[in-house]
Amino acid sequence: MGADGKQAGWRSQRIASGCPSRDIQSCRISTKNKSLQALTSAAMVLPGLMLQPAQGAEVDADSFGFQYYRYQEGKRNLYNVPNKLDPIMADVIHATGRLSLTDRVKFNFGYTRDTWSGATPVTSAPLAANGNRPILQNTPSGTVVSGASPTVNNRVLLDRDLNPIARDPLTGEVLGKDTRTVEILSFASPEVRNAADFGLGYEWNEAALHIGGGLSVEPDYESSFGNVSGRLDFNQKQTSLKFGLGYTSSDISAILDDDLVPYLTRDAFADQIKNRDGSEIFIGDRQDFTANLGLTQILTKQSLVDVSIGYTHSDGYLGNPYKAMSVIFVDPATLSDNPDALIVGDVRALMEQRPGNRNQLAVSTKYVQHVSPLDAALHLDYKFSYDDWGIHTNTFTMDWVQPLGYGWTITPRIRYFSQGAADFYDPYLITQQAFNSNAVDASGREIWVDSNNPDVEYFRDDNFNLLDSNGNIVDESMLNVQPKIIPFDAEELPDDFSSDYRLAGFGSLSGGVTLSKRFAKGIKLQAGFEYYTRQSSLKLGGGGGTSFSDFDFYVANAAITIDIEKLNFSDSLGGGSSGLHAEHDTQAHQTHQAHQHGGALPAGVMNGHMLHKAGEFMFGYSYMHARTGGDILHGDNAASDQQIVTQGCSDDTNCRFAPSYMNMNMHMLHIMYAPTDWMNLMLMPKFVDMNMNLRELEGRPPPQPGVHEHSGAAGHTTGGVGDTVMSSLVKLFNVPGHRMHLGLGFSAPTGDSGLEFRRVFQIDGGLVHFGMQLGSGTWDFLPSLTYAGDYRRWSWGAQLNGVKRMEDQNESGYRLGDIFQATSWGGYRLTNWLSASVRGIYTVQGDIHGDFNDFNGRAGPMDFPSNHGGQFWDLGFGVNAAVPRGKFVGNELSFEWLQPIRDDVNGYRLERKSALAATWRYHF
Amino acid sequence: MASLRIVLILLFLAGINLTGCANVAPWERGVLAKPEMALDPNPLQSYMRSHNFGSREAAANTNATGGGGGCGCF
Repeated sequence: MGADGKQAGWRSQRIASGCPSRDIQSCRISTKNKSLQALTSAAMVLPGLMLQPAQGAEVDADSFGFQYYRYQEGKRNLYNVPNKLDPIMADVIHATGRLSLTDRVKFNFGYTRDTWSGATPVTSAPLAANGNRPILQNTPSGTVVSGASPTVNNRVLLDRDLNPIARDPLTGEVLGKDTRTVEILSFASPEVRNAADFGLGYEWNEAALHIGGGLSVEPDYESSFGNVSGRLDFNQKQTSLKFGLGYTSSDISAILDDDLVPYLTRDAFADQIKNRDGSEIFIGDRQDFTANLGLTQILTKQSLVDVSIGYTHSDGYLGNPYKAMSVIFVDPATLSDNPDALIVGDVRALMEQRPGNRNQLAVSTKYVQHVSPLDAALHLDYKFSYDDWGIHTNTFTMDWVQPLGYGWTITPRIRYFSQGAADFYDPYLITQQAFNSNAVDASGREIWVDSNNPDVEYFRDDNFNLLDSNGNIVDESMLNVQPKIIPFDAEELPDDFSSDYRLAGFGSLSGGVTLSKRFAKGIKLQAGFEYYTRQSSLKLGGGGGTSFSDFDFYVANAAITIDIEKLNFSDSLGGGSSGLHAEHDTQAHQTHQAHQHGGALPAGVMNGHMLHKAGEFMFGYSYMHARTGGDILHGDNAASDQQIVTQGCSDDTNCRFAPSYMNMNMHMLHIMYAPTDWMNLMLMPKFVDMNMNLRELEGRPPPQPGVHEHSGAAGHTTGGVGDTVMSSLVKLFNVPGHRMHLGLGFSAPTGDSGLEFRRVFQIDGGLVHFGMQLGSGTWDFLPSLTYAGDYRRWSWGAQLNGVKRMEDQNESGYRLGDIFQATSWGGYRLTNWLSASVRGIYTVQGDIHGDFNDFNGRAGPMDFPSNHGGQFWDLGFGVNAAVPRGKFVGNELSFEWLQPIRDDVNGYRLERKSALAATWRYHF
Repeated sequence: MASLRIVLILLFLAGINLTGCANVAPWERGVLAKPEMALDPNPLQSYMRSHNFGSREAAANTNATGGGGGCGCF
């Protein structure tokens, strides 16, 4: 390519990046070449037209994106018992940002938070083994099956060909051969994952380099990753070559299910299991290396193709510590000579064992064709992958992206997937040996050992006397003598085995639709829905034979993206024909805008901001972290354990536990619009997660059989969608230096208030503590009155706000107390972009009315309605940074540290420690 | 890893081949620059979909820049 071509590439790239308003002059001056001029004017007319690298449009646009999605599985089929367990559900929030630090340096970040819970398969086993044991419940109309409880150790009858034989669960009558397999489900407690990633890219005229890295943290799984990727454009950017290298290192620290551990054979991992606080913790690590190479090629004016190949090498612990394999032990010694006699199989659950490394290869191709008569784009994808576990997969995807005009786009899609099973996948295994057998010596005598000193062997004579190896009678009153047990021979089992349904052979079909609307200001709203069905029979080239694992799920998502490039581009276009004027006008407007929003508003103040011009938008995100811990207070004094035990619960129940800490994280989105200059509308979806742990109180009453006890190292976690606030702000007055507005809001009970603990040790956990529920469960009224003023560098304000519950009780039978809060603050502008604030807050909240209408563990003060609410005093220290001009004008970032000064609680409550509020706002 | 080598060679040859044949001038790429013609028109959704499918299926990926998806234990 000649020098001209190179220059064209560079210039057009400036245009491609929106030709930021401050650069428009230089863009204009350097457009000497006629074809370039033509290109520039074309680009001005049609903002999408730009000389892109071959991989298509808008890869470099500066933007913020936020999406929420829900993954919801359908219930799995347990055949002979009703499945009452809620299936897996995940709530995910995901935010991304991409910013040009300079024309060539790009910064990107991403954040994801997943919360999920629900019933998931632990293993699969013959249906005849009754692994999902019915839970019977007496009701006025008789005994009914209220659900199923997983039992992984069972007996199963087999015929001579080792086919399972079904029996009537009540009468024991033999019903005949039943070869069906069933999944054994266990309920996973809610868990939260947080992940963040960052990247930095550099763009040359015809190349790009990007480095990135991040961290993903779950209580049981932590991984950190880094990657480097790049792109080379040639052939006038009709061809792009892409490459990438990545490395991920993960540490697994999984608390094994306390309910399952007594029944789980984990000998193979004995050296990887540690004991902590009464729980068994599996420790493992893994590494993943990835490499990929791809090529994108423009084929015609209306089509392009992309081919990529990826290789992944993984080693370390590649299994799932929560998955087990059902192994049926058939003791040859129990086989009778009668060919019609049934065999009793001993079903045991062994932790799954996967190979210690894996190599995967994948090739994908994508073809994109514009369909001119409909102005639509057809996207066809095919991917093939193969690995040395024997899994090969085929994926076909077709998307039809159809612009509808007025910024609307609809994208229907369909996807077909098929995979072959891993070599070591089996629904269950049968082995011809006993699980355990008593050891005998050469002469056939049973060997006994002292469990405190198992190396010394003993025998018994005909009178059951204990003899040592020399035949002398031993006094066994001081010993703990048991028969010596020989475990099964692991060598007779395969080296690797897994019953994880994800490693089985199956096919799946999914289809969905996405609807998006692009607004003039560079905002795009998007909503999508997709339904997925896994069908063993859909497997390519024949059925997978695992129809017992068939399930379906749907995913619904909503997203908003803000395209900063579009925003600035349209602003500068709207400013007039001269680029210089455009720059001036834009800045004047934006600086004005920044001033108009007044002084520093502390991050923790909600509804404190108003947009003052019709048509303005604000998009914001708030994060709040609150910690409680330390003493249990009674009024404003610390209470002793003895006091809590006897007085902290109720007259007829003594407390057994008290919270040792509780942390709350709340993510809030603010979407605000000013339809008129005197009123704003605001929508605030919330996403919350909480974690708490309990401690045993000194002097507590002893455990009772059948009563849920908190045990083990694991605390409680809950999380998901919280309540959604819709409000309007009405301007009361706005004169120079003084503003006042009224907020009228409603909170919709979108957060769950009926969360339950999972069943542990065959005992129902019951409803989760009041304070760990995700929402109030009631429709609430949220009035507020805000005054703000400023004079030169000083600003100040005050707000009264409240929460009035509008219903008597929620689905769980109670309602939270009403809240009243008064706050006032003062701020000082340190520089033109940075200010600081101090704030005082007084809050009063009533106790809970009503009580749980369903079973709750009543373990401690947190489970009693009168121990909620109180009066609280806090001090807040805040900083606030606002971008006054330039490309990122309108962005405002604020932090506030909230320090409790005094708590005067109702009943017995855990002391508050501190809270942090962080808010990012962007108005345009 | 003979198959990897073969694919790499094919990819390289394909690259050379395509470089030779295509000729769409920069000013003829208006259609290609439309948002719906982007290789990934909905990156947020692609992220979500790959996470969901990745936790339910055993396929490998051709994208090395991801990572740290957690164990997908559910």
